Amino acid sequence: MTAIVEAHALGKRFGARWALADCTLNIPPGHVVGLVGPNGAGKSTLLKLACGLLTPTSGSITVLGGRPGSGREQIAKVGYLAQDAPVEPALSIADHLRLGAHLNPRWDKALASARIASLGLDPKQKAGKLSGGQRAQLALTMATSKHPQVLILDEPVASLDPLARRDFLKLLMDTVAEHGTSVILSSHLISDLERVCDYLVVLAAAQVRLVGEVEELTAVHRWITCTRRDADTLPAGVEVVSAKHTDRQSTFMVRSDTPMPPGDWVSEPVGLEDLVLTYMERGPASAGPLAPRNVESAR
Amino acid sequence: MIWLTWRQFRFQATVTLTILAAATIYVMTTGLRMHHAYAADIAACPHPEIGCRFFLSFQGSYNAEQRLLEMLVFAAPALIGIFWGAPLIAAELERGSHRMLWNQSVTPTRWLAVKLAILALAALLTAAVLSLLLTWWASPLDQRSNDRFAAMTFGTRGVTPLGYAAFAFALGTVLGLLIRRTLPAMAVTLAVFIALQIVFAAVLRPNLLPSTAATMPINATTMSQVQGIGTGPDPSGPVQIFRPGKADAWILSATNLENSSGHEISGNQVSTCLNNQSLDLTGIGDCLAPYNLHIDYTYQPADNYWPLQWLETGFYLALAALLGGACFWRIRRHRD
Repeated sequence: MTAIVEAHALGKRFGARWALADCTLNIPPGHVVGLVGPNGAGKSTLLKLACGLLTPTSGSITVLGGRPGSGREQIAKVGYLAQDAPVEPALSIADHLRLGAHLNPRWDKALASARIASLGLDPKQKAGKLSGGQRAQLALTMATSKHPQVLILDEPVASLDPLARRDFLKLLMDTVAEHGTSVILSSHLISDLERVCDYLVVLAAAQVRLVGEVEELTAVHRWITCTRRDADTLPAGVEVVSAKHTDRQSTFMVRSDTPMPPGDWVSEPVGLEDLVLTYMERGPASAGPLAPRNVESAR
Repeated sequence: MIWLTWRQFRFQATVTLTILAAATIYVMTTGLRMHHAYAADIAACPHPEIGCRFFLSFQGSYNAEQRLLEMLVFAAPALIGIFWGAPLIAAELERGSHRMLWNQSVTPTRWLAVKLAILALAALLTAAVLSLLLTWWASPLDQRSNDRFAAMTFGTRGVTPLGYAAFAFALGTVLGLLIRRTLPAMAVTLAVFIALQIVFAAVLRPNLLPSTAATMPINATTMSQVQGIGTGPDPSGPVQIFRPGKADAWILSATNLENSSGHEISGNQVSTCLNNQSLDLTGIGDCLAPYNLHIDYTYQPADNYWPLQWLETGFYLALAALLGGACFWRIRRHRD
């Protein structure tokens, strides 16, 4: 099956600053992909490159096998919800649905109207008068009712209150379950992603730090707590992702594809949040030797 | 996309149509009255080609209306550039809603093409209607004043308003695309448009076609066709002729009164002719004839009116097309 996103040495430069550098990814279809990273890590840039709003400075990217934004058919396959969920403030909700029906080749009129009705929104209301949550729901309706094969969402829940956030994610999960849509979802809140994502991409400082299925990633990483020692005294085949030392104790996050051999240490599973934070904190230099391996795990 | 363009343009369209409707009613009511009055004046005048005294009061009584309508036709292209062109792309870029629209299976190129085509057509139509209204309304006044080349007249009659409107719209659009902010784009549009209008009228228009040079001897026959003669505030200064040559030509430059050896004469030398209250222009001409005076002048003949109109319109339309092309070039390189 064609990858949702396939990128080779993808880079995007704004002036002198690289917003995204040397990004190589191959995300298989059928996943809900969480894209995590601190502010300014290049999340939005990557997503805009994937929907064709930006063109790469270097390298290449294909989405569902096609060049992003290359034509009507390509745009029709990709749903995109931009950051802050932009809508046309002067147009009513009904106008939005109508423009969706006019412009998209596979617009699901019934689905769109049902969505708006289930949200309890008045179709005659101007989009500019909607609350942040309602606007996000309208923008999501616009992105999903065209029946995309992949849905790209840029920080969709960032501006929503917890209740609206829950409703939004529920609506999203309904869409995924009903139509088998693949989703790429960015956020800097890991807790949001933990509930819905089964695939993870961690970006920091314009570079990919970690890629893989959530289950696999949590399975191969462990916390190791032991008496104070150097990292290189750990068994061979174990990679140290992070190391912290107190006077008497050392704590390592390790990655090992085989189960840890028993030893004089306590081995504990790693939560998704710890995993993401650890990889975000790691400088690019120390991530160097690990990077090819991470890419490997994505294939 | 056509529906969306119409839906986004609906407000401006309503305002424009309201203004056009009001202008039409105004032009029709005052215009019919004026055309009737003019027909009656012509009938009462024994030699309309020479003129009658009451033609002056006829022109004077419609001065305010003429100014108002000319202002409207003159301002319309600028307003189109500011309120249609500048926000066309800038407003969406500013709101970020192009990110939503461009992902409703519309490529930016198609989005731009439909918007540009529909609004450019609307701009041309609006300018055409306004120009037609004023050209018809003012036809008796223009016939009497015989000054079709005056800046305010030339730019508000015939086909020139169409060129201005298309250009101003394209200018606003491309500036909106480059600046990405509606308000600054509006301001820059206005500044650039006005600057070009002034430069064009003052520098380019007189030189669009080669002008004709001529010499006019001063005698009774020639003086009967000019509008006046005088020295200005200093009676010993050079003597000027007002509106020399054929009345419907466009006089570009004229020398002061010169004698046969080509030297300017001063008012004192001919004061007996100029200060004689009993002489009309023909009489002054008779009086000046023995001095053997002449003026040199250059002009655009009346026949050049329509060639100049089409040349200027063509120039503005070509600029508009160029700017439209620049929009397509730029939108492909749009960096979000």
